[in-house]
This record gives sequence, structure tokens and C-alpha cells, in this order.
Amino acid sequence: MKNTTLHTFVFAIACIIFLDGIFASGAYAASTPEKQVITLDEFHANADVGCADCHGNKNQRAAVSMVKCLECHDTKELAEKTANVKPTNPHNNRHYSTEADCNLCHHQHKKSENFCLPCHARFDLIVP
Amino acid sequence: MSREISQEEKAVDQYTANVLQSGISRRRFLSCTALGAAGIGIMGLTGLTEKNAEAAQVDQGGEFAKSSDGGATLNFMPKPEPIADKDIASTKTFDVIVVGAGASGVPAALSAAENGATVAVIQKHPMPVSQGNTGSGIDLATSDKAGIEALVALLMNDNNHRCNPALLRQWAYNSGEAVKWVIDRARKGGSPVVDQGSKPQFAIRQVNGYTLNYVTSYFGPKPYTTGDGMRALAKTAEAAGVQFYFNMPASQLVQSQSGEVIGVIAKGRDGKYTKFMAKKGVILATGDYQNNTAMCDYFIPDLKHFGRKQMDRTGDGFAMAYWAGGVIEPIGHTKMLHDFDAGPASMCDMPFLAVNREGKRFVNETVAMSLFNNYLRDAKNAGHYSQIFDANYMTQAADWPGKLVSPEGLKNYMPDDPSPKNGVYESQTNTHVADTLGELATKLECDPATFIASVKRYNELCATGKDDDFGKPANRLVPVEKAPFYGIHRRVRISTICSGMLVNENHQALNADGAPIKGLYVIGNLGGGFYGGVDYPLTVFGLSLGRCYTFGYMAGKHVANL
Repeated sequence: MKNTTLHTFVFAIACIIFLDGIFASGAYAASTPEKQVITLDEFHANADVGCADCHGNKNQRAAVSMVKCLECHDTKELAEKTANVKPTNPHNNRHYSTEADCNLCHHQHKKSENFCLPCHARFDLIVP
Repeated sequence: MSREISQEEKAVDQYTANVLQSGISRRRFLSCTALGAAGIGIMGLTGLTEKNAEAAQVDQGGEFAKSSDGGATLNFMPKPEPIADKDIASTKTFDVIVVGAGASGVPAALSAAENGATVAVIQKHPMPVSQGNTGSGIDLATSDKAGIEALVALLMNDNNHRCNPALLRQWAYNSGEAVKWVIDRARKGGSPVVDQGSKPQFAIRQVNGYTLNYVTSYFGPKPYTTGDGMRALAKTAEAAGVQFYFNMPASQLVQSQSGEVIGVIAKGRDGKYTKFMAKKGVILATGDYQNNTAMCDYFIPDLKHFGRKQMDRTGDGFAMAYWAGGVIEPIGHTKMLHDFDAGPASMCDMPFLAVNREGKRFVNETVAMSLFNNYLRDAKNAGHYSQIFDANYMTQAADWPGKLVSPEGLKNYMPDDPSPKNGVYESQTNTHVADTLGELATKLECDPATFIASVKRYNELCATGKDDDFGKPANRLVPVEKAPFYGIHRRVRISTICSGMLVNENHQALNADGAPIKGLYVIGNLGGGFYGGVDYPLTVFGLSLGRCYTFGYMAGKHVANL
């Protein structure tokens, strides 16, 4: 990874601006008053994965496809890792097998969501 | 319009004539623009080429589909920007390209390959996808010809006489062979599929006194479904040489200057386009559009508040076929809404007391479950209702249509019961038992006071033996009075929408003049003409999948032999 320090720096500033906005809006404060919620962008930044690592340098507002996730994450390994998650393994499901688009549940710049819930009321999975 | 075309239209059957008149197509859009231009005298009709007409429309703010009278712009169906040759990463050529790997696409691909064609299947999902368990056909050898015609007449009635009888007959006379073929080929791919024969079709073994026998394929029990079955069939297809391209949604069709469909452009996960050229034809098998809200709101607004059972059914094939000149059936499409999972499927049509989401009785319960959605379309009910019965149900409903499941068996459908579940989708079970009506109401998420009042009123009607509220027959009026009390909280959701593109008996798409579009074939739930009623009928269990298999089998063979 090139220019990691610079990326992290730029990213950290972006995060501060972004999170400021979120906390100011009260969206997170309302649901979790005590615990600080870390969005995945912050999590990634802490692991030295900066904006450009996903978005590239050209247009950092462009949506990032799942292919980018697959550069670091292996869907089959992930499915094995969560094989015993109850009530169901979200990473090997009837709709997409192991290939569900990560972005359906895992959001980077906002709180992630449990995509199963609207149809499967009892799939109360916690989504990082 | 030329005299020649008028004569051609006169010759077509009633169904096709009606769809040509009222369906959504490109010609109306073009002729409206053309007439407008002629009206203001810019140029004569003959001087206005199609291209100019389109250009005029673009100037007015983009190319969108038009309603059947040409008046409304359907801005949810924009014409896609043509993908430029420079953006095509690679080009592959086959005899036949099938778009969509489901219950009609996979059979079509295998059938084409067995008939000597080179075949590619382009699939949006990472694997073949399908739903349901049962797919049916008629066993010709052991059925009366008059019986087959009687069944066709029965299905015409189910379809409110708005379908194309020729397509029903095509299913009727070819489905036995096709379903047997699917069973054999799926087994070769490792599926435990079985032929249940006439057993599940208990109500239609005799129609108008004529004998019928059936071939009924069963991919099950749940959670094993036809999805698993089609994945097994795809293995057989791969062994026969079919090439599958997964995670590749089709973006647009490729047409020659003359309008012939000669290929499909699909987008890979990496965002790169592949052009699939078809030497013989493109078969669209992309399914329905239940996840496209704008299309639903326009073509079948009844669905506004119902849950969707499927994902990613965005009507891609409709848009592609429409822009290639195809005709979409007029608004008021046929829907399929069921819940076979909350409680036993075999008890879904039993006329027990039924209450809506609040707890009020709302219908003469002899109405079939497949039609209940029409009484539960509002935002509050959104397809939710409950069937209610008491401790005496095994004796009191013993001779009712369907098959009773014992109290012990019902535990399999009870989320609150700790027993292990078999043959069901555990997350969708929703059957409850309680010692009091109030407790049951709470478990069924009804308002207890309303619920208790409804039961009280129902019991009074049962005591008099006359259903003054809804007219249900006396022999279906049994009171709910002895604990424990049972309730099955069903919520009907959309399995599929089964109206589609106008096709002829070769499953070839027709244009607005009723002429076949060269190179373009449409099967499965994207194909029109097979239904037409308010709801999908449950007369033949497995008609939907049976039709998908049959038309896939036949279209694959037809296109391969071109």
C-alpha cells in the first residue's frame, strides 16, 4: 500500500467531518447514547485501509462494487467462519449462496443493516 | 397503417388482438410522434423514418416507454444508452443465448444443447435460482382427450377467459413429456426429485366426468426446492456443453439494422461488458418484476402493500424486450400470492374461521387462500390474516377439502414450540396454540377485544346454523369454543407476477404489428398469454413451474433447430 500515511491522514479528516455530521444529526446518539458506534470506514482506516484503497484517486464519490471487497475478503472463508452463527449463516444463504453483495448489509459510511429482517423476522443478526 | 397490416391483425386470435390493441408497445409511441409530425405538416408520414421519430422524442426529453394510449410517459422504462463497442471487453458467439437461469431458462438451455446447439446462459445471480416445489404436466397416454380439453376449459375459466387458449393447449399436450424429461435430467444432476403422478391432483383426476392423469415433479421437501433442482439440472446442462456465466446481468439486446435480435450485452461484477452474439436466437427467461416498484405501481397497483418473496426481480427482460419492439400485456397483470409456510399447506384452503390483522372476520372462508389477498390489500392488513380453530378440529373438519395435520404435527409449524422442525422454512412458521382466546389473539398479533368479539359472533352464527354475515354453508360453520385454541397467522406475499410479453406459439416475441421479432424468444413468467385472471389459479398444483419447464423445453428445441 503506497502513501499509506497520507491516505490515513486524509481519511481521518474526512471521518471527523463525516462523523461530526452524524453525531450532530443525533442519528446515532438516539439509538446508542452510551456506546460509541464505529462505522466500517473508521474500522478500515484503523487497519490502514484509506479512501483511495477502495475509491481510487479519480472520483472518491463513486460507488464501490463488491469486487473491491474481494481483494481482501474471501467469501468462502467468510462463510466457513460464520457457519455456526444462529439462527442462520448470513454468508451462505438461499438467495445468493456465498456470493451476496457485501454492500447489502455492510455499509461503510453509515450504520450497517440487517438485510434479512424485513422478510425473516426472526433472523435477529447483529451486523458489524 | 397499411392495408396489409390491418388484414394481418384481423387474422389473429382474440387474445393477441386485444394485447395488440391495449398492450404497451413501441409502435404506439412511434405512431403518435409520427402522426403529430404529419399533423403539423412538416413532412408526410412516408417521409418520417423511424429514426427521425425517435430523434423527435429524444428532443422532448429522453426516450421512455409510453402508455397504451400514447398519452402517459412511463419514465420507469427509460431506453438505455447504447453500450459502445469500445466498452465491450470481450465478445463470445454461440448458437443460442439464454438470459436467466431459472425454471424455464435452465431447461431451455439444456434442451437447446441436446438438440445440437452451442449454448450460453447469462445469469444475474451467482447461481441458478428458482422457487416452489411442484411442477406439473398431463400424462397424455393415460388421459382422455376430452378430459384434456375439459381441463383447458377449466383453466380458461380460472383465467377469466383472458388468456391465449393455444398456449394453454401447448402446455396441456406437451407438459407430460417435458416434466418427465426435467425429472430425468435433474436426477442425472444429482437431484432427489420424484414423480408424484396424479396423487397431489386429487381434485382434477376427473373433469366433467373425463379421466386425467398427471406427471407431477416434486423438488422437496423444504428447505429443498426447485432452486436446488435447477442447480442440479444446470449440472446436467454443463455436462451437455452449456456454458453458464454467473454474476452477469444482461444490460441490453443487440439488434441488427433490420431489428433482428442478434445478441445480448451483459455486465460482469468488475463492471466490464461482454457481448454474447447469438447465431440462432436469444431466449429471455428473466422472470417477473415484483421488486420494481414503479412497474408494479403501473401494471398492477394492487400489490402496493404486499411483501415480496423474491429478490432482484426488477423486470430487466421487460425493458429489453420492450425496447426491441415487443408488446407488454395490458395493465391489470395476474398475480400469485400465497403463504404455504406459516402452517400446513394442506390446510390453507380449509374454511376455518378467518380474521384479518386486527382480528375481524372479513370473508366467506370458502374463498381460496390464493384469492384472500384481494381482501387484504390495504397498508394495515398487508396480506396478514389468521385461521382459527379449536380442540375439536380433527373431527369437525375431517371431511373438509385438504388434509388435516394433527396437534402433534402442528408443533412443526410453531415457532414457540421447542421441537425440531422438519420440511419447513423455520423462519416463516407462524402457528400458535393457547388456552384462552385472549392469549391466542396476542400470539397472532390481533387486538384481543376485537378478536374475542369476532369469535363470539361467529359462534352465535354457528349455533343458528346460518351465516348471516358472509353466507358460508352451514356444514362449514363449526364453533371455536373448546380449549386449546389454535391459530395459523398467515401473511400472503408475492410469489410472482405472471403476466408478460406477447408471444406466439413458438414463444417468439411479437411486435406491435403482430409480426414475430426475429431472434427474440420469451419464456417463463416473462412470457404472456398463459394466465390473465386476477390471481394465479390453484386448480392444477404446480401449473406455474410445469409451464416454465414445458415452454423452456420447447423453446430450446425450437431455437436450436432453426
